[in-house]
Amino acid sequence: MNKKFTKAVMNTSILILSLILAFQISGCKKPEPIAQPPVSSEITSDEPSEPSATSSEIDAAEPSEPSAASSEITVTDMTGREVKLTGTAEKIVVLSPSDCEILYALGAGGAVVGRGEYCDYPAEVSQVPAVQSGSETNIEQIIALNPQVVVMTKMSHSAEQVDAIENAGIRVVSTDAQNIAGVYQAIELIGKITGRDSQASALVGEMKSGFEEIKAQAANAGSVSDNSVYFEVSPLEWGLWTAGKNTFMDEIAQITGLKNAFDDIEGWAEISEEQVIDRNPAYIFTITMYFEGTGQVHPVDEIAGRGGWENIGAVKNSNIFLLDSNEISRPGPRLYEAAKKVYEIVYAGSGN
Amino acid sequence: MKRENFSLANYIFFCAATIAVFLVCLCVGSVGISPANVFQSVLSFLTGGDIGTAPAGKIIVFVRLPRVICAALTGATLSVCGAAMQGLLKNPLADGSTLGVSSGAALGAVLAIALGGAMPFFANAGIVPTAIIFAFVSLFAIIALANKLDSGLAANTIILTGVVFSMFANSLISLIISFSGEKIKPIIFWTMGSLADANYSNALLLLIAFLTASAVIIKNAAELNACAIGEENARHVGVNVKRVKLLILIASSAAIGICVSVSGTIGFVGLIVPHITRLLTGPNHKRLLPASAFFGAYFLMLADLLARFALSPRELPVGVITSLIGALMFLSVFYRASRNK
Repeated sequence: MNKKFTKAVMNTSILILSLILAFQISGCKKPEPIAQPPVSSEITSDEPSEPSATSSEIDAAEPSEPSAASSEITVTDMTGREVKLTGTAEKIVVLSPSDCEILYALGAGGAVVGRGEYCDYPAEVSQVPAVQSGSETNIEQIIALNPQVVVMTKMSHSAEQVDAIENAGIRVVSTDAQNIAGVYQAIELIGKITGRDSQASALVGEMKSGFEEIKAQAANAGSVSDNSVYFEVSPLEWGLWTAGKNTFMDEIAQITGLKNAFDDIEGWAEISEEQVIDRNPAYIFTITMYFEGTGQVHPVDEIAGRGGWENIGAVKNSNIFLLDSNEISRPGPRLYEAAKKVYEIVYAGSGN
Repeated sequence: MKRENFSLANYIFFCAATIAVFLVCLCVGSVGISPANVFQSVLSFLTGGDIGTAPAGKIIVFVRLPRVICAALTGATLSVCGAAMQGLLKNPLADGSTLGVSSGAALGAVLAIALGGAMPFFANAGIVPTAIIFAFVSLFAIIALANKLDSGLAANTIILTGVVFSMFANSLISLIISFSGEKIKPIIFWTMGSLADANYSNALLLLIAFLTASAVIIKNAAELNACAIGEENARHVGVNVKRVKLLILIASSAAIGICVSVSGTIGFVGLIVPHITRLLTGPNHKRLLPASAFFGAYFLMLADLLARFALSPRELPVGVITSLIGALMFLSVFYRASRNK
């Protein structure tokens, strides 16, 4: 009797435990990278430095130059929220690498008092205290840095986090760049809150004319006989992921006169190896991280050596190239450099 | 008297069904290739002929064929191991994942990635052995702990220890993931399971694992039958319960470790396939074990077919499909079985 009861209890607890386990396992199954270029670009950063939120003073030598009249500024951020600032922001915590790059490109790097742990460009940003970002954003650390404004990206933060920071008396400005036009918007928004509207429109103008120039040159370079391109976001070993329509890579393909072989797919997606062989792209660009001197096979050689791929145009003609994943997937000013590199790879040296 | 063994006719029937499912899976895929073309490619590949430069031949020979083979072998191995563990431990919830072996193997793979520096391809050389070693170590840890708690190695003690160990291993994996930054993608793969990277050397490894494990297990079918009736009983008819238990657990955990190292943790296969098979064959392990292997192969081949084909040109993680379909099938089978009572 007693034994039977113990057994029943044991059986039930086993059932409950395995249910919990099943949930835990299924929790791990979230396919993270779907349509989240910035997340993965965060992933690709170097070892995040230890978050150290202790020093709240700005040690940075050059103070930002605020615009003369620091009167009230009202902006509508990219989530449609109206944000009122008492003056230009001089102490900013920036959480996403792309917004961080924009701040520095506008010359407002001196105003950055805290950065998300994955912000790694330009190099000098590593001297700024890092805070945890994303779903584990450490709000205490942010408040301790005593900024006027926190710049965050809509995708990687929740409304609750925004509220919590706002409740602490810190203004939150969210960016949400889904395409290059969105990047311009983000630049102008960040220009506004830092009192650098003219620098912002200059940067936007520069990017626009740069892209136009590439586009025109690509058009002039004459038609490449086959211009299809496959972007490899994740190598075969972990399942092939590519960038489809409405990604920065797709936009860059269009600018450089290439045709994304997977533009029938929306966003980032896992695709079948069969499809790559069947679609026979003329160019392959991979953004697999490469760590020299670690014994890792170079991503280009790894792709070239795959069984069954030897007759793909890109493999046959050695048109496989490694790109800097941070450059081509972060919604920031460096997208232009990425486009330029793609253009040079495709058109320079090829007799077209 | 009811026939006991899996007869030759049974084998022929099940093999024919395997070939049929295999061919369907080979002919259907993300890229449409005519069956004639498929057969031609396979034939010229098998006879060492030229498969030509057309993409169709390359796709069949280098992508689809190894993948379907790996799916069949993984499904068969996981199922036969699951069936053996369920019989051995007299517990319907026993399989590689509840016993902690899969999680242990996954933990090994994840550790190899995380500690292997930032070198996915170099580290890969270390992933397979690490996964297998961890599968073993987990099993020994579980058995040692269970033995300490209960020297008779009662089934429930082993399962309970295994479940606790699984949770422990999974939380360690989560911990490693949260510290791993850029290496997160490979690690997610190990926790999700995928057959996308299947190739012939994987297939060979799986074949060895399957043959070894199923030989050991099926050879002990009679002992398993005795254990399933009751360990006391088994002891009375002269079965060395402890020895059989160790033998089968070691064979299964090694095989499961190899499956995990090749395709990540594919959930539910080892748990539900034996249950569904049991409804058709009855509980006699002499029939249940081989039938489970066949059904497991069908199940995973078809699940992987769905993963490859359902959202073409996209792919789905096969673990999601096995868990989804598996859970639903399991429920309906359970529901019907309990209504018939």
